[in-house]
Amino acid sequence: MKRKTTFWDVLVIGLLLLGGLSMLVPFFWMISTSLKEPGSLFDLPIQLWPKKLHWENYQQVLTIVPFGRWYLNSLIIATGLTFLNLTSGAMAGYAFARFRWRGRDVMFLLSLITLMIPAHVLIIPLFVIMSRLGWIDTYYALILPGLFDAFAIFLMRQHFIQMPKELEEAALIDGAGPWQIYWKIALPLAAPALATLGTFTFLAGWNSFLWPLVATNSIEMRPLTVGLAVFNTNFSTEWTLLMAGLSLATIPPILVFLLAQRWFIRGLTLGSLKG
Amino acid sequence: MNAFRRFPWLFILPSLVGFLAFNAGPILLSLWISFTHWDVFQPLSLENLIGNWAGLDNYRRMLEDPVLKKAFFNTLYYVVVAVPLEIVIALAVALGLNRNFPGVRIVRTLYLLPTVTSVVAVGLLWRWVLNPYVGPVNLFLRWLGSKIEALFQFLHLPVPATVHWLATQGPGWLQDAAWAMPGIIIASVWAGLGFRMLIFLAGLQNIDPTYYEAAELDGANNWQKFWHVTLPLLSPTVFLNTLLALIGGFQVFGLIYVMTGGGPLDATNVLLFYLYQKAFGEFPPDMGYASAIAWLLFVILFGLTVIQWQLRKRWVLEEA
Repeated sequence: MKRKTTFWDVLVIGLLLLGGLSMLVPFFWMISTSLKEPGSLFDLPIQLWPKKLHWENYQQVLTIVPFGRWYLNSLIIATGLTFLNLTSGAMAGYAFARFRWRGRDVMFLLSLITLMIPAHVLIIPLFVIMSRLGWIDTYYALILPGLFDAFAIFLMRQHFIQMPKELEEAALIDGAGPWQIYWKIALPLAAPALATLGTFTFLAGWNSFLWPLVATNSIEMRPLTVGLAVFNTNFSTEWTLLMAGLSLATIPPILVFLLAQRWFIRGLTLGSLKG
Repeated sequence: MNAFRRFPWLFILPSLVGFLAFNAGPILLSLWISFTHWDVFQPLSLENLIGNWAGLDNYRRMLEDPVLKKAFFNTLYYVVVAVPLEIVIALAVALGLNRNFPGVRIVRTLYLLPTVTSVVAVGLLWRWVLNPYVGPVNLFLRWLGSKIEALFQFLHLPVPATVHWLATQGPGWLQDAAWAMPGIIIASVWAGLGFRMLIFLAGLQNIDPTYYEAAELDGANNWQKFWHVTLPLLSPTVFLNTLLALIGGFQVFGLIYVMTGGGPLDATNVLLFYLYQKAFGEFPPDMGYASAIAWLLFVILFGLTVIQWQLRKRWVLEEA
């Protein structure tokens, strides 16, 4: 069905573009500020883009703040969480989907109930427990809570239930044990679900803030989010440095997003199921 | 599958350990702490937890705490303004993007960029963008104000005080108790828009195009198609999106932490931020009271979910 482009269409597209560009303004302002001369920000008239680019702001920010280490920490935490979450979530999901065992339904109900408990309820007791274990300011405190995730279990269970059983039954007849069947047959077949869930979990881990804020206290153990927040408090008036740091923190993830947009979008839409 | 009767425990074990140690255990502990005056510097032992039993003290205290009251209404202010704004704008953008024109993917990507930016980065960015003196928002508002002012002068009309204020000064945003929350809401809508839009787009793409064809045959115009076809069929998505936005809204924290630290004068102090302050931001930490606040927040969220599910029956049209 072909129809004429109307005035209405042009208006809508124009507004969309305007909105889209206004999404870019803060990023533009960030980069522009990060290249301005320190101390010149309040000179009138305000420059939209500096005449001379001061790249040394970036050099300077790298000498005061361990950005590399923060990136590494975020990467370790997000990867660790994703790995734990997928491993334990898929295993439990498989057990709920394929096995019949005493207490299964009660356990499943219990894990569904935890979906209703918001994360903030856990912050204080987890902090207390982690302190007692001496795990505050270690990766243990940041990663191990990912061992149980009702959302992952629920999702993987759904996926395994929908998967045809025949292949697994054939392997059973050939004498394979459940463990073998799980690793060699069921799990590879669940790869797409794992990838989407993995993207979602990784993003959530990368962006997590409140728990890492509570669970770390040394500069070296902070992930990027917490590092930035504390950097923001300590250098709250050095805007050229702050914006240079912020550019270093936001531009690489945006580039990764542009390259792997399809996976991001799947992972993000999956997030809509959570809650 | 008989062999599958064995071994489930092996599969369940990692999750079970995680459930007991980092989920169910902490939930019970949190509930218990909320009934005590226990502080973190005492060892975590049964004696201390029982010895510091406070009964309902922490909960009773909430009723008389003016800051908590303020934090509660601030949270409500944030949610009531930010959520509808975000939902309506996201729906409008999704409707616009749910058509084919050259470059539609690029425009969609633009809206998604803030989504992959962490809340902390968003807060830090907007703290600067909303700078009252040199931020682009006020630069634009002052430019706009001066144009309106010029228009009034051109027409030889007296210039209203608001216009003059806009042209010369503009809102103080995060530094002004009245404007701080609107500032935070702008940042949060900017950041959350893309995600909401994505969910709406997924919902829109699920609508069977034959409904529109039928509506067109009946001579429906664009507005009628939206009101009588799109919106009813999209209602489950609207419901889900609103519920998620509400739940997220009541737990706003990162933006507040980075942008205002709850200030000025507690104007942006919200429940979760107040909880954080009580437990980790003050000396001595008040874990009992902070835990009670955590449960208050839980009750609010739970109640909200129940109400939403009740409403859902009334206004969500589900396909058979």
